Amino acid sequence: MNVIKMSKLTKARYLSSVLSLMIIISSIGIIFSNGFNWGLDFTGGVVTEVRLDSHIKATELSELLAQHSEQEVSVISAGESGRWVLRYSQVDAKSSTDIVSVLAPLSGNVEVLNSSIVGPQIGQELAEQGGLALLVAMLCVLGYLSFRFEWRLASGALLALFHDVVFVLAFFSLMQMEFNLTILAAVLAILGYSLNDSIVIADRIRELLIAKPKMAVDEVCSAAVKATFSRTMVTSGTTLITVAALWGMGGVPLEGFSIAMFLGIMIGTISSISVGTCLPELLKVKAEHYQLAPISQTP
Amino acid sequence: MRKQNKATLLNHYSVWKYVLLVVTIIIMLLSALPTFYGEDAAIQVSKEAGLKLDPLMLHQRLISAGIEVKRIDQTMGKTLVVLTDSSQQAQLKSLLVEQVKTPSEVTLTLAPSAPNWLLSLGFSPIKLGLDLRGGVQFLLDVEIDPVYQLHNNTFVEATRQFVRDESLVGITVQPQAGGSVQISASDSRQRQKLRQFIAAQYPHWQVTNSGLNALGVNLSDSEKVNIRDLTVKQNLQIMRSRIEQLGITEALVQRQGEQRIRIELPGVQDPAAAKSVIGATASLAFYQVMQPGALNSKVLDSEKDGPVSVSRRAVLGGEHIVDARAQLGEMGLAEVVIHLDRKGGKIMSGFSRDNIGKPMATSYSEYSRDDKGKISQSTEVISVATIRSQLGDRFSITGVGDYASAQQLALLLRAGSMTAPVTIAEERTIGPSLGEENIANGFSALALGVAFTLLFMGLWYRRLGWIANVALISNMVVLFGLLALIPGAVLTLPGIAGLVLTVGMAVDTNVLIFERIKDKIKEGRSFAHAIERGFDSALSTIVDANFTTMITAIVLYSIGNGPIQGFALTLGLGLLTSMFTGIFASRALVNWVYGRDFRRDVRV
Repeated sequence: MNVIKMSKLTKARYLSSVLSLMIIISSIGIIFSNGFNWGLDFTGGVVTEVRLDSHIKATELSELLAQHSEQEVSVISAGESGRWVLRYSQVDAKSSTDIVSVLAPLSGNVEVLNSSIVGPQIGQELAEQGGLALLVAMLCVLGYLSFRFEWRLASGALLALFHDVVFVLAFFSLMQMEFNLTILAAVLAILGYSLNDSIVIADRIRELLIAKPKMAVDEVCSAAVKATFSRTMVTSGTTLITVAALWGMGGVPLEGFSIAMFLGIMIGTISSISVGTCLPELLKVKAEHYQLAPISQTP
Repeated sequence: MRKQNKATLLNHYSVWKYVLLVVTIIIMLLSALPTFYGEDAAIQVSKEAGLKLDPLMLHQRLISAGIEVKRIDQTMGKTLVVLTDSSQQAQLKSLLVEQVKTPSEVTLTLAPSAPNWLLSLGFSPIKLGLDLRGGVQFLLDVEIDPVYQLHNNTFVEATRQFVRDESLVGITVQPQAGGSVQISASDSRQRQKLRQFIAAQYPHWQVTNSGLNALGVNLSDSEKVNIRDLTVKQNLQIMRSRIEQLGITEALVQRQGEQRIRIELPGVQDPAAAKSVIGATASLAFYQVMQPGALNSKVLDSEKDGPVSVSRRAVLGGEHIVDARAQLGEMGLAEVVIHLDRKGGKIMSGFSRDNIGKPMATSYSEYSRDDKGKISQSTEVISVATIRSQLGDRFSITGVGDYASAQQLALLLRAGSMTAPVTIAEERTIGPSLGEENIANGFSALALGVAFTLLFMGLWYRRLGWIANVALISNMVVLFGLLALIPGAVLTLPGIAGLVLTVGMAVDTNVLIFERIKDKIKEGRSFAHAIERGFDSALSTIVDANFTTMITAIVLYSIGNGPIQGFALTLGLGLLTSMFTGIFASRALVNWVYGRDFRRDVRV
């Protein structure tokens, strides 16, 4: 392969592919070394969000709660002052008792904003269901791709997809942000959107391979990226803008979701250009793979 | 000649397509409108409740109590009081309960605040999930093992009875761990007799040889599934009637998976009250009192009289109780009057006729779960009374404590007795203020996202951009309209997130088309030709790209639950509507506005 003859775009694609591969490897490393901060949905336990008088301090809360329960209670501030998230890791008779009466000595003005009690068995089941959903979605998408595209192009889209999912998971693992059901939904949505970009480019590659069978494959890929570039930018742009709006205005419950979506869409755009096009090249995708079968001359 | 002919057909949609488009959008707009008016908290008093006040007096009464009322509707004897301030709902209910004969007919509800002409067309607001309107959600686990155990016991007793009746010697019937029953019989003729008995009387039990001198008997798998289904269904029914007793109209009670029940109670302010009624699994049973140590007897504890020896099998179980009421008896003691069904009445009258002058024990059973999650049943004798005369299908029991606990017991009995214990596996409460906050946050994010996207598209693509914007707005209208129309569709907070994502992605369809049009113009085609080729060549890409997201939406919907399903729903519906508006509606617009534009040097 002659490096000098390659266009700038082709070079950029190759370089970013190497970067993407490094991202995949380090992401997997991060996930395995750090693990996840599993949310209540998966671990089971008790989480209560309360609003109290704003002058009450976290230490006062912790002391009071420690007197009532043998297990450790984590007290986390939830944005505004006087708003607290109390988390017990296990469901027992004491943790599920009325929190208003427990906190009564500190403040008579306790408002329970929300509370969730999830039994350990349910948590286990939700985790299994989530894993199953991820697996089934992957398999369905794989089936559709191999039906619609030849396997070389499909594998490019699939590697890009894997890259995006692993990256987002690694981010949550590294930052130790809570991984709950909503984040899982975001990861599954990323699965769909990441493919979106890859498919648009793969479609163009296929079209060019059919239209210009003599063109060098790396040039075909670069041409396809170039032709779809402004579409990629506009669509990613509008989606990122709306997700940013969700991040800014959606409040605490949707924060993790918007962060996951934002990262996923961003990395999905990059990966569809880098690994998404380079892997098919590496696997030697050729114009012959997409030639229409010659129509028989005799009717 | 040929060219001209082609040109007249180019970019032409027939009139019926425009009619279809306009009619669809108008219907969807009407369907979407009530959602924007929102809903008000209200209290419904049904005709059976017997309200003592007429609307005018009621209104004055409420004003003097400081309750702000939006309107009071009275139709066909049913009264609906709509509130201005939803936080006064509980206050209003307690006030209304005092004014009626049957308090259980006063129920919390929501009334749409859209104008009447809109509602009379049959349109209603989008149903909101618990995370948006506040409320309590329970996931109950129905324990089936105790039910299997019950079937086992019946079988073992019947087989032992058969062995005694037939005077078979040297046979032991032993229940084993894991639900099977071992019958050891050394004589092959005896084994044959037992096999015949089981096949005739208990066809659902499978008999296998266990060693040389014994039979192993198991409940067949299909019958186990059957029993489980029946048990869960019965529990569903019981839960529904219990929740009716609580006075919540819009509660959702449905089966989830094999042996779970999901209950959603919107707007319930006090989860503790709901929990005590839902979670309690009380049942009554009536026993014959035996001599201590007598054959076929068991010992039950009682608070007053110490251990009481009763017959092993109950005379009558709680499943025959039709109605139960608390009242104060002759001595001023609280008692519960019980009304049995016909079958139960017959059994009870037969038993009491034969046992006049003998004592009968009433037991109260409750299931509870200890710290390790193990189910245990506690049974206690609440009263031992002498049968003075033959009892019918209506009699009273005493020894139930004070009047309040008699009322509580009556409520539980009235709502049915549990054949299987139920435990709360998951409980989520969302306070009403948080629900409102979630709605405000979600919709302001949606508004901001839409505004940004409209602005961006308008600036980037200029005139075609405005076509995309019209398509996007009609997409939102159709999407909201569909959400309100589809039965069972619920909008949740993640669902709003799905809407916001849809906004970002919906323009993709138009972007793909416009980029193709740009390409075709660069290739030197006229604007009108570029439009035609652009729409055509982008179609397969659009379908491909949307299909994969559709797959994930379907997987999410079928595997996920609650809020996640809400996300999958708006995501999937959004894809469909965005394809409808992005391809069909925007093509119709483009054809109409630019379809005849054959200039070549157009900039888009």
